[in-house]
Amino acid sequence: MLVLGIESATTQVGCAIGGHEGVLASAHSSRAKRHAEILTPQIDFVRRQARIELREIGVVAVDLGPGLFTGLRVGIASAMAIAHALTVPMIGVASLDLLAFPVRFTSKLIVAAIDARRGELFHAFYRPVPGGVQRVSDYEVSSPDDLASEILARSEDCLVVGDGVLRYHEVFDGLRKVELADFGFAYPNAASLVQLAHAQALREQWVKPWEITPLYLRKPDIDINWATRDTK
Amino acid sequence: MTDMRILGIETSCDETAAAVVMNGTRVLSSVVSTQIDLHARFGGVVPEVASRAHVEMLTPVISQAMLEAGMVDGGKVDAVAATVGPGLIGSLLVGVSAAKALALVWDVPFVAVNHLEAHLYAAFLEEPDLELPLVVLLVSGGHTMLVCMEGHGRYRLLGQTVDDAAGEAFDKVARFLDLGYPGGPAIDRLAMEGDPRAVDFPRPMKNDGYNFSFSGLKTSVVNYVRKNPDVAAADVAASFQDAVCDVLITKARRAAKEVGAKGLCLGGGVAANSQLREQLLDACVADGLQAFLPARAMCTDNAAMIAAAGWYRLASDGPSPLDTGANPSLSLSVLGS
Ligand SMILES: [Zn+2]
Repeated sequence: MLVLGIESATTQVGCAIGGHEGVLASAHSSRAKRHAEILTPQIDFVRRQARIELREIGVVAVDLGPGLFTGLRVGIASAMAIAHALTVPMIGVASLDLLAFPVRFTSKLIVAAIDARRGELFHAFYRPVPGGVQRVSDYEVSSPDDLASEILARSEDCLVVGDGVLRYHEVFDGLRKVELADFGFAYPNAASLVQLAHAQALREQWVKPWEITPLYLRKPDIDINWATRDTK
Repeated sequence: MTDMRILGIETSCDETAAAVVMNGTRVLSSVVSTQIDLHARFGGVVPEVASRAHVEMLTPVISQAMLEAGMVDGGKVDAVAATVGPGLIGSLLVGVSAAKALALVWDVPFVAVNHLEAHLYAAFLEEPDLELPLVVLLVSGGHTMLVCMEGHGRYRLLGQTVDDAAGEAFDKVARFLDLGYPGGPAIDRLAMEGDPRAVDFPRPMKNDGYNFSFSGLKTSVVNYVRKNPDVAAADVAASFQDAVCDVLITKARRAAKEVGAKGLCLGGGVAANSQLREQLLDACVADGLQAFLPARAMCTDNAAMIAAAGWYRLASDGPSPLDTGANPSLSLSVLGS
């Protein structure tokens, strides 16, 4: 079964297509704030590179967040529309799970952290297990300092990964028993999304497009936009 | 020419809407899911709340529109049109992303639509043979403008608000008078029981060009009520509404006369206001103009008007590229010069 994976929760936007043969093609771009402009042509490009027709896609996987809301919704709205148009099911995977998966070949506790802006991070802890990672905490949002204290409190060897760690590296640099994963692992990867979703698809662990729920982890800001209110 | 069915998608503010329109004029379906209840407790549209609701509602709304248009099995649309601006950026991007994705999967053209242009096309959905030139008074919570429509895709912006939109003034005055949200219908209802001549509120810029200004009027209402706490709310509502309508109608009439328009047309959410509709009709009768008042459902935000505008746009300019984004401050002149 062919899986189309779309991820757009960070400043990066990407997509990949794969199945039982592995990932056939993928593309990523991190020119910030251009998710909507980039994504549709990118899907078409990856589709051509994978040498398939979109109607051959059997399931659409999407990064559910947490992440930057506006970009996140570009990916989710696109993925839902594609699944709807193809009448295929969907699989949602958290952005933090996608960050932890590629660094699974470690013996350390994995800390995935995404820049949540406003001086905060979205984060979760994972343990490497055969074939993947297992989440051992809730998805949370907190300041880098609070996360650093939490890491120290666990007092075990940790590998921290994600664009949030890079942004606040001065908080994590030099923490005892803490290693920072390199820049190549800083963003959720669409190829990982396809791999994880394909395994789930084989077990038919999927949902209908309208059952996909973004992981925001934050309540909406309540600032009324008078300037653009357009319906009375 | 073969029949062309366009799926329109609208998510610029707080309505999630989808519609299928044939050849720019025949509405096969039009589904609008309003978020008014979600925003009511805040007294105005909260952008992040709106964007979240669009993601949740868009797929069901599109499904419903396709179903009602009889396109369940194998029925294919010939193009997908979506509002790319103006509006709330986060909300616009939901609709634009979904529309481009659908166009990609179905291998049909995507058409970027200017929301303001679509409001102008709402009238053509009911009356394809409207005589041009036409002066359109577009009044909503986001916009207050007078446009001269000379041909399809050809219009001139005669004037617009320099501060608050008319609908915004309705919302703010309603909030001040504790009438609830949205303010337009609340004031409209209450005004029916009041005396429009009870308070002589100012008519800002009434005889001065085609631009509008409503922020001072709102301030006058607030000041008046503070000084006269015993005044009947119905009288304030009626007098305020009368001042707004007086300015709007006076300018629209003058514009129609000066550009030699064949008719006057209303659009936008405030076009649902009963007094405004009545006075526009009266003015047209007096001036020998064709009056056009689209149904209330076509005045407020909907996707049928997006599909209709998309049909004309596609015919004149062809498809829009798939790397099109949203433009929250898109003006009327960007697409229609
Ligand atoms: Zn509108």
